[in-house]
Amino acid sequence: MPSFNRRSFLQLGLGATVLGAVGTACSPATPAAKKQDARTFTIYWNAGHGYQAYKEVIDQFGKDHDLQMNWQKFQWPDLTTKLTADFRSGNVPDLVEEVSAGTGTQYGLAGNVLALDDFAAGDKEFGFPGDYLDQAVVARQYEGKTYSIPLHLTANGLLFYNKGMLSAAGFDKPPTNWEEFLEIAKATTKDKVSGCALNSDPSYAAPYYNQQSVDFSNAGAKQFMMPADGALKALQWMQDLIFTHKVSPAPVATTDYSGPQKLFSAKRAAMFVSGPWDIGPIRQGSPDIDLGVAVPLTGAVQSAAMAGSGLMIPAKAKDPKLSWELITKLAAVKVELAATKEAGMSMPRKSWAADPAVAADPSLATIAKSLAVVAKQDIALSASGKAAQINELWKKAYQQMIIQHAPVEQTLADFRKQAGAAL
Amino acid sequence: MTRRRQALTAWLFLTPAVLFFALLFFLPIGNQLLTGLYDSDGVSFVGLGNFSRAFGDPEVLHSFLITLAYAAGTLVVGTAVGLGLAVILNQALPGRTLFRSVLLIPYLTSVSIVGLLWRNILDPQVGILNRLLEAIGLPGQTWLSTHPLATIVGITVWSGAGYTMVLFLAGLQGIPSLYYEAARIDGAGPWRRFFAITIPLLAPTTLFVSIIGLISTLQQFALPYIVTGGGPGNATSLYAHRLFIVAFNDNDFGYASALSVLLLLVVLVLSLAQLRIGDRANA
Repeated sequence: MPSFNRRSFLQLGLGATVLGAVGTACSPATPAAKKQDARTFTIYWNAGHGYQAYKEVIDQFGKDHDLQMNWQKFQWPDLTTKLTADFRSGNVPDLVEEVSAGTGTQYGLAGNVLALDDFAAGDKEFGFPGDYLDQAVVARQYEGKTYSIPLHLTANGLLFYNKGMLSAAGFDKPPTNWEEFLEIAKATTKDKVSGCALNSDPSYAAPYYNQQSVDFSNAGAKQFMMPADGALKALQWMQDLIFTHKVSPAPVATTDYSGPQKLFSAKRAAMFVSGPWDIGPIRQGSPDIDLGVAVPLTGAVQSAAMAGSGLMIPAKAKDPKLSWELITKLAAVKVELAATKEAGMSMPRKSWAADPAVAADPSLATIAKSLAVVAKQDIALSASGKAAQINELWKKAYQQMIIQHAPVEQTLADFRKQAGAAL
Repeated sequence: MTRRRQALTAWLFLTPAVLFFALLFFLPIGNQLLTGLYDSDGVSFVGLGNFSRAFGDPEVLHSFLITLAYAAGTLVVGTAVGLGLAVILNQALPGRTLFRSVLLIPYLTSVSIVGLLWRNILDPQVGILNRLLEAIGLPGQTWLSTHPLATIVGITVWSGAGYTMVLFLAGLQGIPSLYYEAARIDGAGPWRRFFAITIPLLAPTTLFVSIIGLISTLQQFALPYIVTGGGPGNATSLYAHRLFIVAFNDNDFGYASALSVLLLLVVLVLSLAQLRIGDRANA
């Protein structure tokens, strides 16, 4: 019979501890943990869209299905990073807000999110796609499959202006074209106030180049920012607003796209171009500003860039049927109307646009007019899987032109070359 | 006790640490190395293709060069500032304990908060710094646009100066006062004493500070990500930021893994070189 002394007990105890720790770490999840996980429903959402209207739907959904609702909110770049890591690991959420039309297609073609057509076809009451504005649907489809359901539909290109500042400078109407915009920007620039404010986020350049009939991409032909003369005119005009006419401060390179809105709210800018998501922060943060929201400017043409998020279901979601059910509740017209009332957000449903409350709202009427002039998106770019990489190249080029005063023609040429190579 | 039993006991005590490092360090590094041998799809084997690609990638080369510039700037300025503060606060000044504590606060603050704080302070339009400059009649700054990399160096130095100061303080307090007294009797002035006694005897501390500083600056990601997003253009897209973009934006984990292994090699080589130089200097 072996003898046990204090050292032997110590060795045995240590060995058991190590084996126990390793065993626990390497063992599969316990049934109880799995059960707990199955009762948790995880949603990734944009931090700026955490409206009460959605919260009520999500809370009720949790109660109806006895689920623990894990509603996680992120800034868009962080959401994208987390989602990419999740897709790699296979540990995915149950429902995800899509940053913009086309992102779902990119994920879907890589097998990471589900095509939702069968769900929609089996749920006639939901009204997809019949009750949705075409541009919001088409931008999310590729080769007959739809990878996300539109949640919001907005236009980037609305002109925000401070009525008081324009009036003090002798203008009783907002500008309608680039010449008038420059004239008013010059007239309202004084002391610490800029006539306008440009954004460091490159997606905010889209309305300007769209207004010169420029397409960001034609993936099929491997072309970017064409026609070249229109792109040159648009970006040169933007650069001149800062460095020649000095009616806009050079934006600061950050991950925050709310710089112009903050300047406007602080009464340091008279005008800026953005989308409906800035109406709420201005009205709530600076109620003393007499805010005007006008339709997009006309350059060679009147145009705006389509914006707005969607909803997508990861391919490895625990129960896609349950995820679809929540989509139908979040995107119901009464929830859309509640979110609009709460935050001024515009929506993709035809029945939403036809609602008397929407039709009677002047800001929403302006948004509706803007939606009619949104430029078409290049679906093939999303399908190429290279959209994010090319957008990063565009960000670099845009900031070099707008912040660092790089020569526009050469920078655009370099961007075209790099983007073509990436594709 | 036999040698065998002794060895067994030693291994039992070592096992937790070995497992810890194997599972949480060496296994991921090995996995990283393996991933770096595959294409972005994670299936096609490309051998050393991702590694050779890095040497011809202008974005990667740019990010590597500005990272070296950032590391050099941060090390030189940070060491000088930390040493200066340590020398000052090593004197018998009233309230020096309070100053030492206050100077350490930035180091103890989360890098996210430091980044957001400075982004807001330096904002040319709504930042507090320009308000102060305007109040005293000076022109406003636009450093985040005109000198973005130098600004990031400045923020890093501000954030880490307290820690460097503490290390140098410990080194200073390890120098016997006898040396200074002897030098004073021999007629050496303050500068002479500083360069002839303080600097040489602080060499081990300086070596430690520079190695730790080099490793952390070559891996810097959070500050440029939060303050400038790598911009304007790619002016502050340091190597780790570039690596992040390749992985999470371009979704090319094979190439990103190769880049991270290359960074590991660079850090290893530079750290070993510093150690050798330090050893020679001390010898």
